[in-house]
Amino acid sequence: MPTEQYAYEISLREILPFLDVELVDIDGFSCCGEPMKSVNQLMTLYLSARNLAIGEKHKLDLFVPCAMCHLALSECKYVLDNNPDMKERINGMLASEELTYHGTRGIVHTVDLLHDHIGIEAIKQHVKKPLKDLKIATHYGCHLIRPSEVGRPVNSENPEKIEEILKALEAEPVKYAQKLDCCGAPLLSNLPESALTKTGQKLKAIQDQGVNVLVDVCPWCHRMFDSKQIKAGETVAAKLGIPVFYLTQLLGLAFGVKRDKLGLDLNLSPVDKLEL
Amino acid sequence: MSIVDLTSMGEPQSELRKEINERLSKLRDEISDYCFQCAKCTSGCEAHKLLELEPHKIVALLKRGLIDEMVNSDVIWTCMSCFKCKERCPQRVAPVDILFSLKNLAVLSGKQIPGKYTAMLQSVLSTGLIQDIQSVATRDNKTKKRDDLGLPAVSKPVDVAKFQMALSKIAVEKV
Repeated sequence: MPTEQYAYEISLREILPFLDVELVDIDGFSCCGEPMKSVNQLMTLYLSARNLAIGEKHKLDLFVPCAMCHLALSECKYVLDNNPDMKERINGMLASEELTYHGTRGIVHTVDLLHDHIGIEAIKQHVKKPLKDLKIATHYGCHLIRPSEVGRPVNSENPEKIEEILKALEAEPVKYAQKLDCCGAPLLSNLPESALTKTGQKLKAIQDQGVNVLVDVCPWCHRMFDSKQIKAGETVAAKLGIPVFYLTQLLGLAFGVKRDKLGLDLNLSPVDKLEL
Repeated sequence: MSIVDLTSMGEPQSELRKEINERLSKLRDEISDYCFQCAKCTSGCEAHKLLELEPHKIVALLKRGLIDEMVNSDVIWTCMSCFKCKERCPQRVAPVDILFSLKNLAVLSGKQIPGKYTAMLQSVLSTGLIQDIQSVATRDNKTKKRDDLGLPAVSKPVDVAKFQMALSKIAVEKV
């Protein structure tokens, strides 16, 4: 995510100070390892443990805005906290970089940061330009929702936290049957055509239901729905034109932040359609 | 190119073969006997709707001992890792985790790694990130770099040599 999906990061850094959250940038992190899981699961575990250990070294909880990274770190924590042998083995490997995983710090995603830690009431207080009558479809992202075994920030079959945040902005989240469908991104590296078809099917279903906006909270999903929307439309023979926003961009707009401070020029979907 | 080629050119193949066989038999022992073929996994499977992946059938085939065949099959690479099967299985079988293990075995046995996985792996092994830091296009087609947008430098491993060393060891370790 930090190597490409800059709009998410820009809007996060813009809105969090409103909500009294201070981000601390730490050097030394690496990939979470989740994209490597098909190749080598031990590598995923090591990379995640490494990142968690760096957070612990600085005595900070990790804020992980990407759903995929959040899953990798949460799963790593679950495995290491429940399997002392694996913890010892991973710590043995981490020793060369003078790192140790203890399992003392938390892992926070955008959705639980906003909903659970900051709270709906606090968000409401900052709304200057309510998003009235805006019909919004939400997309959580598979990795944010499941598997609940390792602890996920939202309910696995009926997640509602983004809806509640949107209601605080006076927007109108819609119910739709395809809400839990995958964005297709995990197949992009080896079966790109199929990945785009998956994206196209979901977007077409959303468009057919007369929704104004799709909102997401994962850079992988956003890349599919926003950056690759036109290509995705071609795979399902549909002309797609759905504005896709990061949740943090919509929050920024509702807080009265200027458009250019939210990275909106980086959204490739037609976000100008809306007069927000 | 396999993960072994990338990290330790010229490892003795006999050792590797032995290890793969060990892992195959370990996987055989670990596959759950509890699956009763309710196919709840397949009914929700994201890849089934599009690519006809049938997780319950894969579990059944593995239980019948067709592990090598599954490792060599392309179908294991159609999983979208949406984790619905793991979430919904009444017997806690988790086909998605079995598929991850099969893919790991396919890579270990020197079978070609499909698609862009090789490039991502090389990038992680050398810099710690899955791709180089990109310039991005705006809607009106202007190119922007991270610092043009006022973003700080990307966090990445400080002592790259130590990082690479630790990671290369894992690439050839047993899972």
